[in-house]
Amino acid sequence: MTVRPLWVGLAAALALAVLPLVANPYLLFVGNQLSIFVILAVGLNLLVGYCGQLAFAHAALFGIGAYGTALLKVHLGVPFAVSLPCGALLATAVGLAISLPALRLSGLYLSLATLAFAQFTLWVFLHWEPVTFGAGGFRVPAPSWPIPGVTAGIGTFYLALALAVLLTLAAASLVRSRLGRAMIAVRDGEVAAQALGVDLLRTKAMAFGLSAFYAGVAGGLQALMLGYVAPESFDLFHMALMKAMIVVGGLGSIAGSVVGAGAVLFLLEGLRAFKGAQEIAFGALLMGAVILAPRGLAGLLDRLPGWQERYLRAAPAERAPAAAVPREAPP
Amino acid sequence: MLEVEHLAVSYGPTRILEDVSFAVPEGQVVSLLGGNGSGKTTVLNALCGMVRPDGGSARIAGEDCTGRRPDEILRRGVAQVPQGREVFATMTVAENLEMGAYARRDRDGVRRDTERVLALFPRLREKARRRAGTLSGGEQQMLAVARAMMSGPRLLLMDEPSVGLAPAVLGDMVATIRALRAEGMTILLVEQNVGVAAAVADTAHVLRGGRIVHSGPAARLLGDEEVLRSYLG
Repeated sequence: MTVRPLWVGLAAALALAVLPLVANPYLLFVGNQLSIFVILAVGLNLLVGYCGQLAFAHAALFGIGAYGTALLKVHLGVPFAVSLPCGALLATAVGLAISLPALRLSGLYLSLATLAFAQFTLWVFLHWEPVTFGAGGFRVPAPSWPIPGVTAGIGTFYLALALAVLLTLAAASLVRSRLGRAMIAVRDGEVAAQALGVDLLRTKAMAFGLSAFYAGVAGGLQALMLGYVAPESFDLFHMALMKAMIVVGGLGSIAGSVVGAGAVLFLLEGLRAFKGAQEIAFGALLMGAVILAPRGLAGLLDRLPGWQERYLRAAPAERAPAAAVPREAPP
Repeated sequence: MLEVEHLAVSYGPTRILEDVSFAVPEGQVVSLLGGNGSGKTTVLNALCGMVRPDGGSARIAGEDCTGRRPDEILRRGVAQVPQGREVFATMTVAENLEMGAYARRDRDGVRRDTERVLALFPRLREKARRRAGTLSGGEQQMLAVARAMMSGPRLLLMDEPSVGLAPAVLGDMVATIRALRAEGMTILLVEQNVGVAAAVADTAHVLRGGRIVHSGPAARLLGDEEVLRSYLG
């Protein structure tokens, strides 16, 4: 039997979709947070796992999406239907802007530059008080949904779930596309990719921009869900959380991103009572994943009988019989 | 096919290539020999458009292509087999080949070239669904050449294909280059291994300190004490 990641994912989304019918508010919050984490992890994996750019700006871009969405509403009274896309686009624009200098850097230097940008963003959230309200953060009015009987919480829950499903499917198809393949080629061999006509700057900029868009959408949803935005939600600890999601889940795997987001959320909520233990637990989790399962949970999933996550689109043999590539004999 | 005249390249204040001139006639294999730091790879990088030369010119099939972008050079029929092979490790062999045709839009031509390349490298056909990272060094080198061939080049630039190969597979490498030449491919082979160059090249140029210090028929290289001594420094 072939287990398709797509069907498993959609089944999980369906299970999540009936959650509001049975769950208490806490479980609803966890389910909502799961959708947001999935969007964050998938977006980060596009940049880090698929394109191989070890950037540390994701939490900051998540924050820019949240602040952008919430501040447009609070200061200018822009409805969420407009401010959420605007927040996401703002994050995308910033992501593209930081990609320009970052494209000249690689490896450790890229990490340091993006880390510096993240700290700068946090500083702005903290100190641009007339606009961002500083360290204390600010309250965001609850969204109202035009559908009768739908409360603010339930509406946000379904919006986040729908966007998580949509953006995950989009990412899964993106990595099989021409751009996706170029991203993987850049990760596996920059010089070779360039020699084959891959535009390095454009490909990396696209990866940065797309990843930032995902972070921005997630940020907007986070602001809607919590009804409260504060700088501490976008600090380095949260960056480490996101890294943990994709490392534990599996770099270069969409299914892994989803599973990793779930695993991190599970641990985060499980350790809610022990604030100090969280950071230690995540450090241990990250190190454990790197040492024991370098391919992450996705590596374990790959061992399921018939489980196939195609990182790339089908090989020539499956599309064009003319390119007669024999199938590998079954073991 | 390729004429390089007075090529000069600097990285910042450091002059890497002083004045390099040579030609690669159509259908021939020309080798550029030199030790570490002689500027071999820099010549290739300048030809591929990855480094901007600050003097001289490179003409491809009569057209001046000095300082053009990598994709423009590629479109003019120049493909590169990079140093250290750089196969896309997580992609399958078939996907690597597809990636070789990344810049092409003519599906039928790509299909024909896939067949041609797989006929040239039957072992790659056997392993089409294997991840490139799981191939042996010799097979990866084959794949790197096959991938470059997928762009449908007129001129193939090879950067030290013998590096890191077991002596036992060096023979395969030599056979591959000969097979390509027999197909009419024009090749510029940058090498450190005099034996490989002497076995396959028509003409050889010895590069040292950013200049060509010796040129002559490649077959005579192995016997020429003076060249070997100057080449080895």
